Order: sequence, then structure tokens, then C-alpha cells
Amino acid sequence: MRLMRTSEVTKRPVVTFSGEDIAQIKDVVYSAGGGAVGGFTLAGRGMFSGPLKQGLAWSSVAALGADAVMVRDETVLEPTQSILDASASSGGSGGDVLGSQVLTDSGVALGTVVDVIIQVDQPAGGQCDVVGYEIEASEALGSKGTRVLMPLPDTLAASGEHLMVPAAAKDFVAQDLAGFGAAVLAFRAQLEGPG
Amino acid sequence: MRFSDAAGRQVVSTSTAETLGRVDEFVVDPRTHAVVAVALKKAEAGDTLAWSDITAFGADAVTVSGADKLSGPSPEVAALVGKEHRLLGRRALSTTGDELGKVDDVEFDPETGVITALVLSGGEVAGVRLIGVGSYAVVVQAE
Repeated sequence: MRLMRTSEVTKRPVVTFSGEDIAQIKDVVYSAGGGAVGGFTLAGRGMFSGPLKQGLAWSSVAALGADAVMVRDETVLEPTQSILDASASSGGSGGDVLGSQVLTDSGVALGTVVDVIIQVDQPAGGQCDVVGYEIEASEALGSKGTRVLMPLPDTLAASGEHLMVPAAAKDFVAQDLAGFGAAVLAFRAQLEGPG
Repeated sequence: MRFSDAAGRQVVSTSTAETLGRVDEFVVDPRTHAVVAVALKKAEAGDTLAWSDITAFGADAVTVSGADKLSGPSPEVAALVGKEHRLLGRRALSTTGDELGKVDDVEFDPETGVITALVLSGGEVAGVRLIGVGSYAVVVQAE
């Protein structure tokens, strides 16, 4: 299990087990109301670098590593539209939250979303959860302009304009990915716990 | 034996004692983790020698029974030959999508052609872990 910024995932090559790079990641398609990764839109490699009609569903990803997205072979690609449709039917608005203002349920603006943090199993299997956002902090978080990582509850409300988080979220911000896994767990434990 | 040691080695006919060519490249089938053929240079009779036609892969020379063993690549070999299927110098990726370094060299058993180890810049991995050799990467099964 590891945590990754989705900005690091885009442009990463899609490589088959036979060693061919068949595409690269263009964008992340979110599902489950923005709470999970449904798949990816793709662009060609090298001189064929326009957007592709084929996309990659999360269920077809063999592994998402530091240097490549591994797939069994090129036949796992499917029409991008079917990935977008599947994500939309699972309640995903596309989850385009970059630039959204993070608001707590008590009405305090914590900052602006600049990146999305996902949790990846090795090898891939099950769901690829969105576990937090990197936000450019407002005064409410202490140091305006710095980037901090904020964990998310399992469910959240996102409109494209605002992202609602529980007020407690700001007590679990982390400065880097290394400490972030623990912050996510602590935060979710508190939300689920009796107190 | 390593690919780097064996490259350039002369290929000699046991029937005529003539030099038929020199070892240029190894053709590897990742499904069997083995060398299936040797591509030759400076060979007039044909540029491909199937592994099964080699009499001995010796320390100083590769011997074959005669020039008739040299030919063009068979269809199976043709699909595995060429620059895009070369191991040396290529990046190695694990099946988890992490780069393991570049392939510096390959160790093989000169009796059977079986690849025993990949020598990567980040360390050695067992030959049985090799699962793909493509234009972008050599793919190695994660441990």
C-alpha cells in the first residue's frame, strides 16, 4: 500500500507485461462521488501524443507503480466513454475538485485543492481510494500559502465549487506523504469512533 | 556465461573448420526465459543460428556442424529479434510498476541457453522472473 499524488500519475506510461508502452495517463476519472479512482483517460506516446479514444478502467490496472502503470496487455483498454459512464453511474461527478475551496461544516475556508492523494495497493486490487487532498492553506490553517495534506472521510460532498469537510479535518493535516497515512487512519478512526 | 563475454565470439563450422560469422545479438524468448537463437554478423550463409542447431557454445568459439545451419530467422524468432527486443541497456520494470535500473548484462547457461540471471544496475534478479522484453522495458515479476 502506498500513497500518491494524482499529479504524479498523469503522464506516467502505461506498460504491458511484454514491455511495450502503449499509452500514457492523461487524466484521472473519479468514481463514487470523487471518493475513488474509476480509471484513466489516455494519451498516445511520443509522436502520437494526442488523446486516445481508448481508456483504462481501474479494474484493468495490474499495478500502479512509481514509474509506470502496468497492464496485462493492450486488450484491456476499453472505450473512454464507457469508463466515464461507469464512473458517472457510481455517483461520480467526475470529481474534478482541483481549484475547489475547502470549507469545513462550521463554515471556515481552509484553502484550495491543488492535488488529490490516492491510496494504491500493491499489486492493484479492490478499490483505489481517494484518501485526501493537497491544499494550499488559508490563514485558518496557520501558515497561508503553504501546501498541506488533508485527510478525507470516506464520504464527502463536493460541488466543483466547494468541498465540505468535517471541522475536525484540520486537526489531521500532514506536511508530507510519509506522515500522511497515519493521519488518514487517525482521522477516519475518530469519525467512526464513539467520541 | 554473460552476453557481454559472448558477443563477438566466432562461429566455426566443425565440418570445414571455417569461421562462418560472429555472435552479434542474443534472441531471447521471455516465455521460456531462454536464448532461442543467436543473430550473427559478418555471416554470408545467413544471419540467424537457432539455439538447437548449436553444437557447443564454448569459451572461445561457438561450433556448428556446417554452414547449412545458418539461415534467415524463422517466424517465431523473427518476432523476437531486433533492436526493440534487445535486453542490454534497457530499463527494467517490475510488475508493480517500479523501475529496478538498467539491464547491464545477462547471465545464461551455455549448455541450455536458459537465462539464469539479469544483471541490473540495481542488483541481480533470477532469470525465471523475466516475463517480457519490449521496446519500452524489460518486465520482471515482482517478488
